[in-house]
Amino acid sequence: MDILTTIKDHLAEILDIEAEEITLETYLVRDLGVESIDFLELAVAFNSSLGIEIEDDEIFLANLRLYLKEAKEGKSDIVSYLAQKYPSLAKERLKQILQDLDDGPVLKVKDLVSYVSFRCQEG
Amino acid sequence: MKLSFSGHQALILGGSCDLATCLARSMVQSELFPVLTFRSKQGSERISAQMASFSGKYKALYFDLAQPESIDSLFSEINDDVDFLVDFAQGDMEALIGSVNIEEMERYFSQNVSSRARVLRKTARLFLRKKRGRLIFISSTAAQRANPGQGFYAAAKSASEALYRNLGLELADRGITTVTLRAGYIDSGRGRDFIQVNKEDVLSKVPISRPITCDEVAETVLFFLSESSRGFNATEIVMDGGLVAGK
Repeated sequence: MDILTTIKDHLAEILDIEAEEITLETYLVRDLGVESIDFLELAVAFNSSLGIEIEDDEIFLANLRLYLKEAKEGKSDIVSYLAQKYPSLAKERLKQILQDLDDGPVLKVKDLVSYVSFRCQEG
Repeated sequence: MKLSFSGHQALILGGSCDLATCLARSMVQSELFPVLTFRSKQGSERISAQMASFSGKYKALYFDLAQPESIDSLFSEINDDVDFLVDFAQGDMEALIGSVNIEEMERYFSQNVSSRARVLRKTARLFLRKKRGRLIFISSTAAQRANPGQGFYAAAKSASEALYRNLGLELADRGITTVTLRAGYIDSGRGRDFIQVNKEDVLSKVPISRPITCDEVAETVLFFLSESSRGFNATEIVMDGGLVAGK
C-alpha cells in the first residue's frame, strides 16, 4: 500500500470520514478539523503501521511560528532556516507555506506524505 | 465482589517494594500477569523471594528511572504487550529547601519527574494503539501535607500526580484513564521503620489508630484496575485512615 493511501486510511479511521474526501491538497486543520489529540493518534498510527519513529513536532509543523520568530530575530533567510528545521519539505513548498500563513494552519496531507517518505528513505 | 478486568498483563514499576510484591501476588490470584521491575540485584532477589510460590506466573525485568532509555528495552522485552501500569517507582530524598545540594536536587527531579513523563509518553502511545489502558500512580499524603525535609519528595509526587491527572484528562475518550492513590502511613518498607521509631506520635494522628496494611493497598489497587472502577479517572484518592482530614 502506498504512503498516501496509508495516511488517508488512518485519517479516515481516526476522524470517521470517507478516505475519498481526502486529497494531497487537503488541509488537516482547516478542512478536516484535526485536533491535537488526533495528531497524537495519527503519530502513533504511522509509527505502528509504517514502522518509523515519528517526531510529532516536525511532521505536524507544530513549532512553525516559533521557528519563524527565531529566523526573524536571527536575521536568517526564513526559507533556508525552515528548510533546516523541516528537511522533508522542499523549498518551493516552504515558500507556499509562508504565503499561506495568514489564512490559518498550513499543514496539508502532502506534508505528511513528504515527511513519511523522507523518514522511510532515511531508513 | 468478583472483579473483572479488561486486560491481562500489568507492568508494575518499582516492583521490588513490599507493596508491589503484595499487589503482584493478589494479581496472580485474580488471574492477571504482573511484570515487576527492579533496579538492583537486591531488588531482583527480593522479588524472587516474595514471589517464590508463583513461579511462571509473573516476570521480573530491569528498569531504572535513572536510566529512562531503559523503558524502551523494557517494553521490547514484553513485546509492547501491557494492559495496565502501576507506578510505585520513587526515589527518596530528604533535605531542607535551604540546604539542598543543587546537583542532587536537579538529578532527583530529572529522575522522578522528567523520566516518569517519558515513561508516560511511551505508555500513552502504546495504549493509544490498543485504544484502552489503565494507569495507577502510587503517591503519598506527603504530597498534600508538608513536613520539614520532605519538600522535594512532595514536589516530585505532586508533579507526578499532575502528569497522571492530565493524561487521564487528555486520553479518557480514547479509553485511557488514570487514578492516583495517595497512601498515608503504610506498614511496610520505609514506612514501617518510621512507624516503629515514632509509633505513639504517628498513631495519635491517624483516626483509625493504625497504619494501612499492604493487603489493603493491594486490594484497593486491584479495584482501581478493575472494570468496577471505570468511573474514577484523573483524580487522587486518599487512603490514610483519615490522617489528612484532621488538623
